[in-house]
Amino acid sequence: MELILVNLIDGLVTGLLLFMLSAGLTLIFSMMGVLNFAHASFYMLGAYFAYSISLYTGFWMGLLIAPLIVGVLGAGVERYGLRRVHQYGHVPELIFTFGLALLIEELVQFIWGKNQMPYAIPDVLNFTAFAIAGNSIPAYKIFMIFISVAIFIGLLYILTKTRVGMIIQAALSYPRTVEALGHNVPLIFMGVFGVGTALAGVAGVIAGPVLGTFPGMAFVLGSIVFVTIVIGGLGSLWGALAASLLIGWITTFAKSYNIEMSDILNGIGVVTPADLDDNIFRDLWTVTSPQIADILPYILMVLILIFRPAGLFGKRHT
Amino acid sequence: MSNTELPKGARPEEQITTDPSRAAQRMRAGSMTLTMLPWIVAAILLAMLPYIFTSNSALTIMNQMWITVVFALAYNMLLGQGGMLSFGHAVYAGVGGFACMHIMNMSDFFASFPLPVLPVFGGLFGMGLALIVGSFSTRNAGTVFAMISLGVGELIAACSVIIVAFFGGEEGISGDRTYAMPFFGNEFLQQINVYYLTAFWMLLSAGLMYLWSRTPVGRMANAVRDNPERAEFLGYSARWVRFFSFVASGFFAGVSGALFAINYEILTEENLNTASSGVILLVTFLGGVGFFFGPIIGAIVFTLVQTVLSLQTELWAFYAGTLFVLTVMFFPGGLAGLLMMHVPAFRLGKAGGLIVPYLKTLLPGAIGVLAVCGLVEMVFHVRHASTGDHEMTLFWTTFDSHAILPWVIFIGVAVIGLGIARTTAPALRDAWNEANTAGGSA
Amino acid sequence: MSVPALELIGLKKSFGKAEIIRGIDLSIGKAERHAIIGPNGAGKSTLFNLITARFPPTAGTVKLHGEDLAGLQPFQINRKGLSRSFQITNIFPAMTVFENVRCALLWAQGYKYSFWNLVNRSRDLTEGAEKILDQINLLERRDLPAGTLSYAEQRALEIGITIAGGADVIMLDEPTAGMSHSETDYITDLIMKVTEGKTLVMVEHDMGLWPCGPDFRPGLRRDHRHWRAR
Ligand SMILES: Nc1ncnc2c1ncn2[C@@H]1O[C@H](COP(=O)(O)OP(=O)(O)OP(=O)(O)O)[C@@H](O)[C@H]1O
Ligand SMILES: [Mg+2]
Repeated sequence: MELILVNLIDGLVTGLLLFMLSAGLTLIFSMMGVLNFAHASFYMLGAYFAYSISLYTGFWMGLLIAPLIVGVLGAGVERYGLRRVHQYGHVPELIFTFGLALLIEELVQFIWGKNQMPYAIPDVLNFTAFAIAGNSIPAYKIFMIFISVAIFIGLLYILTKTRVGMIIQAALSYPRTVEALGHNVPLIFMGVFGVGTALAGVAGVIAGPVLGTFPGMAFVLGSIVFVTIVIGGLGSLWGALAASLLIGWITTFAKSYNIEMSDILNGIGVVTPADLDDNIFRDLWTVTSPQIADILPYILMVLILIFRPAGLFGKRHT
Repeated sequence: MSNTELPKGARPEEQITTDPSRAAQRMRAGSMTLTMLPWIVAAILLAMLPYIFTSNSALTIMNQMWITVVFALAYNMLLGQGGMLSFGHAVYAGVGGFACMHIMNMSDFFASFPLPVLPVFGGLFGMGLALIVGSFSTRNAGTVFAMISLGVGELIAACSVIIVAFFGGEEGISGDRTYAMPFFGNEFLQQINVYYLTAFWMLLSAGLMYLWSRTPVGRMANAVRDNPERAEFLGYSARWVRFFSFVASGFFAGVSGALFAINYEILTEENLNTASSGVILLVTFLGGVGFFFGPIIGAIVFTLVQTVLSLQTELWAFYAGTLFVLTVMFFPGGLAGLLMMHVPAFRLGKAGGLIVPYLKTLLPGAIGVLAVCGLVEMVFHVRHASTGDHEMTLFWTTFDSHAILPWVIFIGVAVIGLGIARTTAPALRDAWNEANTAGGSA
Repeated sequence: MSVPALELIGLKKSFGKAEIIRGIDLSIGKAERHAIIGPNGAGKSTLFNLITARFPPTAGTVKLHGEDLAGLQPFQINRKGLSRSFQITNIFPAMTVFENVRCALLWAQGYKYSFWNLVNRSRDLTEGAEKILDQINLLERRDLPAGTLSYAEQRALEIGITIAGGADVIMLDEPTAGMSHSETDYITDLIMKVTEGKTLVMVEHDMGLWPCGPDFRPGLRRDHRHWRAR
C-alpha cells in the first residue's frame, strides 16, 4: 500500500514534468500545425543555461533567467527559421525542426562538452520532506510538483481569463478571422512559440538536477513528449495532461513491480513450454515489466493511432 | 501567355501540327536510347572504379556508398515520390539485415544457394515488415504517418535489447558470408568480390526503383503526394497507393540491409535506431528529394564527406547538422535541385556566362566559410583541449591556439572572403537573370 | 421505363445546426444534360459533395444507375462511372499537363495498381491522353507544368481530367466561374462537345452564355428555399 503511494508520487512528478513539455508542444501544434521536433532540445538548453548561470548566481537566478533566454531563442527560431520554411509545406517544416534538434545537440556538445554537468539540487531543497514506510520523499520532488502545478494553473488562467488568451484561443481555430480583425497573427505565433519553448526551458531547469544534464537528455525525453501529445490528441491541452500523467504512472509502476511475462501468460492459461531455451519466443516469456517500461508509451501510441487516430481527447479530423 | 491567344471552339484540323500517334512513336524510340544511356555509363563506371581506387579502404568506402545509395533511393520512394516522411525507416533495412545474418548462420540452408541471392531474402523480410506496419500506417500521410513511423521505429529499436534471440542484444548478430554455396567458384573472400556484388545489386535496385517510378502505381504515388483528394476522384485509393509504395520501399530497404550484412558480417542495434533513420533522411534531403537521382548524389557526397571530415575533425556532425538545416531553409531542392536549376541556362546556351561570376563569388565565399570553420575549430580547441595543450593543427599548419596572430589571420580571412562574396553577389544575380532570359543582348 | 443515371431520394445535409440541403428528390435520365442554378451559398457544391461522397449525407439516398452509393468512398464511386470536377481548380499542379491527363486515364484503362507495366510504353495511354489534350485544345501545352497554365487553361484541363476516364455521368461544378466572355465561350463549346451522349450535371450561376439546345433542361424541380428552378 505504501509502495503504491510512493509510486503515485513518483509517477506524478514524471507526468507533470512531461506535461510542462507537452503543453507547449501541443499549443504550438494547434496554432501552427507544426510538430516541433526540437521541443525537447529547448528543454535541454534550459538545463544547460540554468547550470551555467547557477555557477555565478545560484540556482534561483538560473530558474528565473534560463527560461527567458530559451524563450527568446525559441521566438527567434520561429521568426527566422520556421516562418521561412513554412512556405515549403508541412513536411519540410517537420524536417527543419528535426535538423534543428540534431544541430542543438551538437551545439551543446560543442559548448559544454560530452560529459554530464555537475548541476545539482540547491541546498535549501536538499532534504527529505517526509517518509512513507521507510521510503523517503525528497523535498525537491515536492518542489517540482509545486512548480508544475503552478505553471499549469497560470497557463489555464491566461488562456481562459485574459484577453491575450482569448485571442490565442480564437487564433487556434480561426487564424484568418483573427487576422482580419486586425490582430497580428504572426506576432501571436511567435509569442506562443516563445512561451512554449520557455515552458520547456523551465522543465529543463528543474529536471536537470535530478535527471542529469547531459547532451543526450533531449533525445531521451524528446520522443516520449511526442508520444504524449499524440496519445492525448494533437492540440488538446487536457489530452496532453491526461496522457502525461498516464505515461508517468504507467512507466513508474512498470519499473517498480517486477512482473514477468510468463506469470501473465500462465495467469491467462498459457502453459510455459518445457523446452524454453530452444523456443524462438523464449525472450517473450522472460520479458519483465521494468525491461519494457520505457517502450510502453510507444506501444500505447501505436495502439492509439491504430484504433483511435485522433488520440484520447482529440477531435476527429475530417 | 494570354488567354485570348487560345483557339476558340473547334479548330480546323490542319492546325494540328503533330500527329498524336506519330509523336508517341517518336517519343518511345528516342526515349529508349536516351534513358538507357546513363545506366550503361553507370555500369561501365562501376566496373572501372576498382581499377582506379585499388586499396581495400577505398573499396570499403565505395561499398558503403552503394549501400547508402540503395537505402536512400528506397527512402525517397516514400519521401520524394510518395510524400511520406518516415522517422523510422532504418528498421526495415535493419530487419532485412538481421534476417540475412540468421540465414548466414543456418549453415545447411545458406550453403544451398550462392551469396548474390541473399539480398532477395533481405528484401523479402524488409517487405514483410513493411506489409504489417504499412497496413495501418499508410492510412494517412503527413504528420500522423510520421508519428507512427517514429513510434514503430522506436519500438523495434527498443525490442533489439529485449528480443535477444533475433537481435542478439548488445553484441548484435554476426556471421560468415563465405559459407554460402560458391558462386562460379567464388567464395567472396576478398573485398573486390564483395565490391562487385554490392555494385551489381546497387545498379539492379536503382534500375528497378527507377522503373517503379514509371509504372502506373509509381505515377499515382506522385499524384497522391500532390493531391490525394483529386487522385481519389480519379479512381485510386490514396491509401492503397501509399501502401504499395511503402511495401516496395520496405523491400529495397531490406536489400540495403542485406548488402550491409554481407559487407560487415555483423548487425547491431545501431542498424535499427532512430539515429540511423535520421541519417538516411539527412542524406536523402541533402541530395534532393525532387529528382530520382537526388538521393544517389546525396549518398555519394555524404559518404565521402563523412569519411573525409570525420578523419579531419571531431566536429563533423556539427558541420553536417548546420549544412542540413541551411539546406532545408534555403535550398529545399537539395543538391539535385541546385544542379537542375541550371538546366534552363544550358538550354539557352548561356551557362558559360555564369562561370566567371560564380568563381568571383563562390571562391572567396568558400575561403571565408573555411576560415569561419577554422575559427570554430579554434574555439573548440581552446575550450576542450586538455589544460596546457595549446598546440593545434589546422589546414596542415601547426600553431598555438592561445596566441593572438592565428585568430587575427582567421578573422581577417573570414571577413575579407565573405566581404568579397557579398560585393560580387549582385553581379552574380544579374548574370543569373541574364542567363535565364531567352534572347537578349548576349 | 429505364433506370435513371442518377437519382437522389430525400437527400439532406446539415452542418451543425445549419440545414443546407433540405431533402432533395431528383432523377436524371441517361444522356440528359442538366444545370443546377442557385445563388451563392445555396448549397450547390454541397450537393455535389454529397453525391460524390466527399461528405456523408445526413439523410437520404444517392443512386447511380439504380445502385445505392451509400458507404462507398470517392474512388469506388468514380470506378462506377461517375466523375466530377471542382469549383476551385483541383489538378496536379506540379505534373505536366500530359501527365495530369494520363493519371486520369490509368484506372479507366485497367492499369489499377500495377507495377509490371511502364506507363510510357503503353500506346493506349499516350494516344488516349493526347486525344483528350487535343479535345481540350491543350496539345501544345502538353509538357508544361499544369500549375503554369492560365486560369482558363487550368479549368479546361480540369474538365479534361474529369472526362478522361470515360465516365458516363459527368458532374461539373461552375466550370465557367471567373471567366471572361471569350473564355466562357471556349469552355461552353468544349463542354457541349465532350459531353455529347453523356449524362451531365452542372452547376452554374448564369446560363446566359450557354448555347442551350433543346436538351438543356432546367435543373431542380422543387423550389426549395435555396433552390430555384429555371
Ligand atoms: N464543411 C462545411 N462546414 C460548414 N458549413 C459548410 C461547409 N461546407 C459548406 N458549408 C456551408 O454550406 C452552405 C452552402 O455552401 P456551398 O459551397 O454548397 O454553396 P454553393 O451553392 O456551392 O455556393 P457558391 O455559388 O458560392 O459556390 C454555405 O453557407 C457554406 O457556408
Ligand atoms: Mg459552389
